Amino acid sequence: MIQEDFITKIEGHGRLKVNWAQNKVQLEIEEGERLFEGMVCGRPVTDLYWITPRICGVCPIAHNLAALKAVEDALDIKVSFSTVLLRRLLLDAQMIQSHVLHLYFLALPDYLGLDSGTQLLKTHPKYFADALELKRISDLIADVVGGRGIHPTTTTAGGFHKVPSSEQLTKLKKEVQKMEEAASGTINLFSSLSYPEIRHELLFLSQTNGKDYNTYASQFISSNKELKVKIENYRKTIEEKVKIYSTAKFGYHKGKVVMVGALARLAIQADKLGGEAKDFYHHRKLDFENPYQNNFAQAIEVLYFVQEARGLIDEILGKGANSAIANLPKNLVPKKKSRGIGAIEAPRGGLYYEIEVDANGLITEANIITPTVQNLSSIEESAQAVLDQTENLSQRRRQELLEMLVRAYDPCITCSVH
Amino acid sequence: MGLEMKARKKVAIFDFTDCEGCEVQLVSLREKLLKLADQVDIVNWRLVQSRAEEGPYDISLVEGTPIRQEEIEILKALREQTKFLIGLGSCATLAGIPGIIDQKARSTWYKKIYGPKYKPRGVDALPLTAYVKIDYLIHGCPVEKKEIVRVMEELLAGKIPKGRGFSVCFECKLAGNQCRLLAKKICLGPITQGGCGAICISGGSPCYGCFGLRADPQIDNLLRILYKFSDSAQVENYFSMFLKKTPEYQKLFGKKEK
Repeated sequence: MIQEDFITKIEGHGRLKVNWAQNKVQLEIEEGERLFEGMVCGRPVTDLYWITPRICGVCPIAHNLAALKAVEDALDIKVSFSTVLLRRLLLDAQMIQSHVLHLYFLALPDYLGLDSGTQLLKTHPKYFADALELKRISDLIADVVGGRGIHPTTTTAGGFHKVPSSEQLTKLKKEVQKMEEAASGTINLFSSLSYPEIRHELLFLSQTNGKDYNTYASQFISSNKELKVKIENYRKTIEEKVKIYSTAKFGYHKGKVVMVGALARLAIQADKLGGEAKDFYHHRKLDFENPYQNNFAQAIEVLYFVQEARGLIDEILGKGANSAIANLPKNLVPKKKSRGIGAIEAPRGGLYYEIEVDANGLITEANIITPTVQNLSSIEESAQAVLDQTENLSQRRRQELLEMLVRAYDPCITCSVH
Repeated sequence: MGLEMKARKKVAIFDFTDCEGCEVQLVSLREKLLKLADQVDIVNWRLVQSRAEEGPYDISLVEGTPIRQEEIEILKALREQTKFLIGLGSCATLAGIPGIIDQKARSTWYKKIYGPKYKPRGVDALPLTAYVKIDYLIHGCPVEKKEIVRVMEELLAGKIPKGRGFSVCFECKLAGNQCRLLAKKICLGPITQGGCGAICISGGSPCYGCFGLRADPQIDNLLRILYKFSDSAQVENYFSMFLKKTPEYQKLFGKKEK
């Protein structure tokens, strides 16, 4: 045997172990332990946002930004308004990159009966052209603002090493506008798919700020029920459990499974959407009790983040980007031992960083909770719902539905084993 | 059927424990990837297709560090079934970021992170070359897209690809960057193999040597300059980012581990 039987077309190595006789399913995560929280200890704080993007090649910008926020919180560094705008623009690029990769290359083949996304070139050339255009331009934003499509090079504590010129931003805006049509096409496509009818009522969690659909500057963790707590209470809100069959921990809220990511964000704060994305949301009803519809939710978000990126470029052009490179802190050492928290909404949901830094500027403790850690528990429970609700179908079809379900959640296994 | 085209080369892409960012770089090649894929037959690529054929393969690209015993076994099997085996990205070629943690430290962190009852799967984080012979290393964290295309095109043209004979400095000058050493900032560019386009330095970040040491790196000469404005702990910090599992690192800083 040359390979293990992992689920294909997901990020990382995991498998669903089904006991067909007993109708039971387990989600086994088999990525080798990566120990990032140990790796960064004893190293300067500046290494945190260089090393941890390497947790995930699909959402490295999200890790970079959460790490930066944790370092800035620990060292009491305030960043300029343009820094925030540029970071939000980077995060929009990240959302589009990640959602598009997942939607077209990992999830869509399931719904069109294809083996891989590249076959779309021949079977559905229009979809494929949309996918490549969205990928190209979101990569371009990451390049222009972050220095590279993945693993940013320009970002640093306190701001940026380097910022794009007005000419670059003006050009970028023209490109970003080209994404709008492709993003609308994406919603049309993903609202037209027939999703398997599985019911699973879920507790959704998302970071919120009460004002807008802002994924960078959140203050609270909210649920679709009553929960609204401050980000600082993240450890009490999300409990992590070690399971003997998994190299990733599983996240719970008060013992219950939770779902985070696009579907959760829309369930909690769709009223904060704007522009065309809002219209689409109101005209194409999402079914929040069907986890497969996370794909559809991601498609709506793609258009939202495209719109937001365009608005942010306008704002940066108006205010100028240079304050992001001015007055960068020279000495990244706190006066005394300090702690810092950094949280953002990553493509797959809430991402939390917490560090302790000693008076020499070295990291002495790190805690990271990734979105997929939170989703693993609900994937397992949703998979059980699939089994329970499809007993009249063939084993082969049920197996297919299970794999589709895992893909719909867009798990980032490598993030979950960090 | 005398003049029929030669069968397309069978290519497999495998990933061990890592971030999968180098595979994302492959996908980011977009049209260029399709062009390459058109000239070969990608018979195995878990990240993007269900089709998964057994070997033998003409070319295998392996991303990530084999951390679990199963991964090490797969690597060995893959070696037997592959004519030209390529390491893709610094995790595979150098052990890179995962290599920051030593085998001894791993057991401490298993306990701290997973608790005392947990049974770890990981063995150690070493480069592919610790276990099998690798025919070519495409370094980088992440790999540079142009380098993937260069290596694949050379292979398909029947050439055996070779590493870059120049250091990062060469491309850094072309990029018009101010020399970090002259600004008294630590830089591993002079001893690092080029091919990256000096992308990190151009963005304002340091060069930590993710493209691996160049031939005849003259590390001593670089150290002489670095120690004029930095201390050994700072220099070691740079060398330990991607190069910790290289013999050169062990020679320079290895004793401290004891």
